[in-house]
Amino acid sequence: MKAWTNIWTPGLLAFALAALTGCANPPSSRNVNDPQASGKSLAVQVCSTCHGMTGESISPMFPKLAGQQREYLLAQLADFKGHERSDSRGVQYMWGFTHLSAKQVDELADYFSGQTPMQAVAAGDADLARGKALFEGGVPDKGVVQCTACHGPNGEGNGSFPRLAGQHPAYVLEQIKVFQLTDLRPRGAPMKQVTHALADSDAQAIAQYVGTIGFRP
Amino acid sequence: MLQAAQTRTDVLISQSLAGLRRAKLWMLLTLSLLMICSVSPVLAVPSFATQTGQSCVACHAGGQYPELTPYGRIFKLTGYTSGERSTPLAAMVVADYTTTQNPNDPNVKLDKSGIVNTISVFLAGKVSDNIGGFAQYTHTLHDTQDTSLNWIGHTGADNFDLRYADRTIDANKDLIWGITLNNNPSVQDVWNSAPAWSHPYLTPTQTYGLPASTLVEGALAQQVAGVGAYAFLNQSFYAEITSYQTAKDALSFLSYGNNAGNPDHPLTSLDGNALYWRAAYTKAWNASNMMVGAFGLDAKVQPLDGSSMPVSNIGSTHYKDVGIDAQYQYLLSPHTVTAQLRALSETIDDATGLAYSDGAATLKTLLAKASYVYQDRYGTSLSYRTVSGSADTTAYAASSSLVPDSEVWTTEFFWLARQNVRLGLQFNLFSRYLGASSNYDGAGRNASDNNNAYVYLWAAF
Repeated sequence: MKAWTNIWTPGLLAFALAALTGCANPPSSRNVNDPQASGKSLAVQVCSTCHGMTGESISPMFPKLAGQQREYLLAQLADFKGHERSDSRGVQYMWGFTHLSAKQVDELADYFSGQTPMQAVAAGDADLARGKALFEGGVPDKGVVQCTACHGPNGEGNGSFPRLAGQHPAYVLEQIKVFQLTDLRPRGAPMKQVTHALADSDAQAIAQYVGTIGFRP
Repeated sequence: MLQAAQTRTDVLISQSLAGLRRAKLWMLLTLSLLMICSVSPVLAVPSFATQTGQSCVACHAGGQYPELTPYGRIFKLTGYTSGERSTPLAAMVVADYTTTQNPNDPNVKLDKSGIVNTISVFLAGKVSDNIGGFAQYTHTLHDTQDTSLNWIGHTGADNFDLRYADRTIDANKDLIWGITLNNNPSVQDVWNSAPAWSHPYLTPTQTYGLPASTLVEGALAQQVAGVGAYAFLNQSFYAEITSYQTAKDALSFLSYGNNAGNPDHPLTSLDGNALYWRAAYTKAWNASNMMVGAFGLDAKVQPLDGSSMPVSNIGSTHYKDVGIDAQYQYLLSPHTVTAQLRALSETIDDATGLAYSDGAATLKTLLAKASYVYQDRYGTSLSYRTVSGSADTTAYAASSSLVPDSEVWTTEFFWLARQNVRLGLQFNLFSRYLGASSNYDGAGRNASDNNNAYVYLWAAF
């Protein structure tokens, strides 16, 4: 029997790897219910799997958190923890985080709000002019307030109003529909009013547009 | 074969047992319907969901367990350690009903009988921040028949995977690494093109499936014990080496239910160690992700004598498997699209002449499959599987052309009535069997005679 195929050789290789990487001593707790785990450790070990290491999520199923408004992040974490925000994706992925301490929530909000703001994408073939006009002017005769009134002149957000610039268009559109058609995000009550008379095509145009705000080629 | 003279008492007993089995099935179906219709949540949930507090669909693509999302793959690769340690017990039940096109055949049993097929218990979850795993034990209710044709059940080890894992991640690098102790080559894999986790996830028992497969496609499951090391770098490059040996002595809990000398469940004995390796490249973009990879297994299997004991002095059958595989997923609610491709090539060198008598042999298998799930609730799959190989008088004696060549189309429709309860309807259509589409055995049986329809209820608690 060749020694290198011995059943224990891979184990020894692994322990050698452990010895090499163990010296760095990076944050490594994945226990979201351990109050001793730092928010940063949870961010990089758990949250990053969906939201990206720096909050730049790849999949539009998961919102980008990079450079998001700190106050907005605190509110969403509180609403997930307290099961007050109950849109489907939120329930499926975020309702497990019920034991985050106030300190961990603070640290998570610090971590993601402090990242370089979410990167916008190139326009593609979307009709941006219309999206831009709606974002900046609303639809006055239907009572649709312009988005900039709360989300900032460049979609950067303001306190409890989230940054939209650079967010995944599919995610933005999904949340617009949640606000418009359901009561699953009660803290977003103002959004229910704003989106009440918003046509589907207008919602799509806005969502496509915000994904490109601030794009630098 | 029925005994020539069956007493009236035997008939009455077997009828009442059959009645009892039907009653068990109805009880199970009724219980399931109550679960489906009840307003309050099911009190007991599979232990990974309890540990993480997350819904099954967070880890299982479209809810179609055992398919994994990128998040599910990371959960497994980091040793099942995300979340808080909780009660690690879970259970699983499969009940089913099969009908075969031509059931007048000794290999087709329990035709048109609704049965509880298997009950499994899991010990699964986090042990510490770096150690976790799952251990499954399964009771099969209809395993073998005694001389009076009564069904006898069997309990044995099922899949087992225990890991030590860690992740070092910063802005420049993400390295997940670990070691695994497991009892089935490829059970430690995280892509659903791996033989241990590929479609079809449930198949009818007691009727025809593909007549041959390469060794890595399950022949060593719950026969061997392996220790392996793996690494996943920057969620892009995966590499693994695992060494397997026969699961005996201190490791016999991994092959529990399979024993040297047991004619129904013998222990497969390896000559020395078997090496399994796996490499993969993955990429994610927008709502899509993909993997391309390769893997292999090199194993020598000892022959068994007439008492199902391994023989160690007349050589062994040497299998060398090399496979390439690929997976694609599109995950954007309410749509889930998944597809897998796998091609395996095997060379067999049987020094004993007992399994393959006509010299060096080859075997190739192919799997191509696609699934679509809507709203994590309504799904459909289509797969195409083939096996082809060199002719051999001993290995394929049942084929009039002495080859294993077979093709089956599998189409499935399923409904996730709840996230932990799946009802499915599967059709297996054989266009070729053991080398021919008609009269493949020389006695008039056609490939289409093996076609079957299969209804299942798969519930996890």
